Amino acid sequence: MNFLYFDPGLGAMIVQAVVAAAAGILLFSKNVMYKVKSFFGLVKEEKDTYDSIDVEEQDTDTHDKKN
Amino acid sequence: MTKKTDAHQASFRDPSGYIFYDGKTLQRAIKPIYFPQYNKLKESGFFKNLISKGLLIPHEETAVSSDEIIITPEEIPFITNPYEWSFEQYKHAALHTLKIQKYALSKGFILKDASAYNVTFHKGKPIFIDTLSFDFYEEGTPWRAYKQFITHFFGPLVLAKYHGTEIFKMMQTHIDGIPVKLISSLLPTRTKLSSVVYPNIHLLAKMESKHSEDYKAETKIATLSKKAQENILESLYDYIKGLTLKEASEWGNYYDKTNYDETAFEAKKTLIKEWIKPLAPQKLIDVGGNDGTFGRTVIDSVPHIIVTDIDSNAVDYNYKQLQQNKETNMLPFVCDVLQPAPGIGFNNTERSSLMQRLADYAPDVTMALALIHHITLSGNVPFEKSAEFFASFSKNLIIEFPTRDDSWAQSLLVRKREFINHFDFYNETEFEKGYLKYFTLEKKETVKGTKRVLYLLKNKNHAG
Repeated sequence: MNFLYFDPGLGAMIVQAVVAAAAGILLFSKNVMYKVKSFFGLVKEEKDTYDSIDVEEQDTDTHDKKN
Repeated sequence: MTKKTDAHQASFRDPSGYIFYDGKTLQRAIKPIYFPQYNKLKESGFFKNLISKGLLIPHEETAVSSDEIIITPEEIPFITNPYEWSFEQYKHAALHTLKIQKYALSKGFILKDASAYNVTFHKGKPIFIDTLSFDFYEEGTPWRAYKQFITHFFGPLVLAKYHGTEIFKMMQTHIDGIPVKLISSLLPTRTKLSSVVYPNIHLLAKMESKHSEDYKAETKIATLSKKAQENILESLYDYIKGLTLKEASEWGNYYDKTNYDETAFEAKKTLIKEWIKPLAPQKLIDVGGNDGTFGRTVIDSVPHIIVTDIDSNAVDYNYKQLQQNKETNMLPFVCDVLQPAPGIGFNNTERSSLMQRLADYAPDVTMALALIHHITLSGNVPFEKSAEFFASFSKNLIIEFPTRDDSWAQSLLVRKREFINHFDFYNETEFEKGYLKYFTLEKKETVKGTKRVLYLLKNKNHAG
């Protein structure tokens, strides 16, 4: 067993370059597909209740200024 | 200086600090080795932003000295572990972790670990609880917690897609996540064609075994741009968000299958409400509570409610309802009464057993509706034994006893076939005999229109 604070796993560090490349291609093609679909009005609404990966930055900034 | 009464058993792995109990309050001590990170996280407003977004558990700095900083996080009434989550809960915990990592990255930090135990459920939502999991981002470095994310989150979720949520129980035997090689071997071959599963699991497994003998850490690690890392996070996020169970045994409304009619159902609800009211519970647990229907009858008057069920689908349905109704005081999780989660990890104490957590939670009212016939007839647990189980954590117990004439109890009895006589003890008299060893009888009433008796029992060992 290896614990992460000390060893992130060498293979796992190396593989990320490949993973990222695959992810890049996938995201790019998804983006293209999304644009095509929305052009034809085919975009479905998502069911999942968990929102997007992005933290809404603007809100937090204004929040900070108020405090 | 704060007096540390009791160090918590779950925090020794991270040298940055540790958690301990000061009396009943959970606190976190930060050691000087982590001061630079902590101060930067605090001063840059990073903590504040995550907290105000409801992503990280709020904390207060309660003591500062040159050799220790103490922070006191907001109390979480009950900690659930990954092997007790439903599919949707597990998914959300994973998405939550990715979201935090992506945000951290944009602010020059990383999550240095991605353990599933860093997330739990609080106020109806996932929340990140390990405040010291952040570190500085070094430009060009790959995510060091990547592998842990795969073994703790991605792997179990993809496995559950093909094999069902029972897979999550493997987390009980693998405290640092399911080994990548094992995940890879358990997945169907066709997953090798998936542009997300192949690199993140199968290729990772290959690379891990290829480089497992690099004892001197000689192999050079290639740099990975921030954008590339963001791509990894986003593609994992999209994939996980779209995951559904293959055997999506849709939560067929259980209460449509009850053996009593609408009026009896309402009568049961009213009776329960009436009995609970004078007890004015602060904490209530509904064991075998299904999708939370009966728990919801008192949701406005009880500050904290736990609902457990053996059926992951029921828990899932309950969790979805919580989110839709924006309920914050109910916590659903998966639990098999006949085999509650054990204490696991080093010394068997890193993650407490369910029995320990229930005893610590000390609910004012325990409900066990339509459950005893399963415990007794499916699990063959004698009444005295199940009474002992409930008595170990309950003050007041509302328990429903389906008599022998109840059609469900009957069907369970009939299945015993030639051994049916061994279960002659399944009757009210024997039930009371067993339970009154640990409890006193407060109330007893037949639910109108049913062959079921509802009991209100008080634990003999509880003054309150």
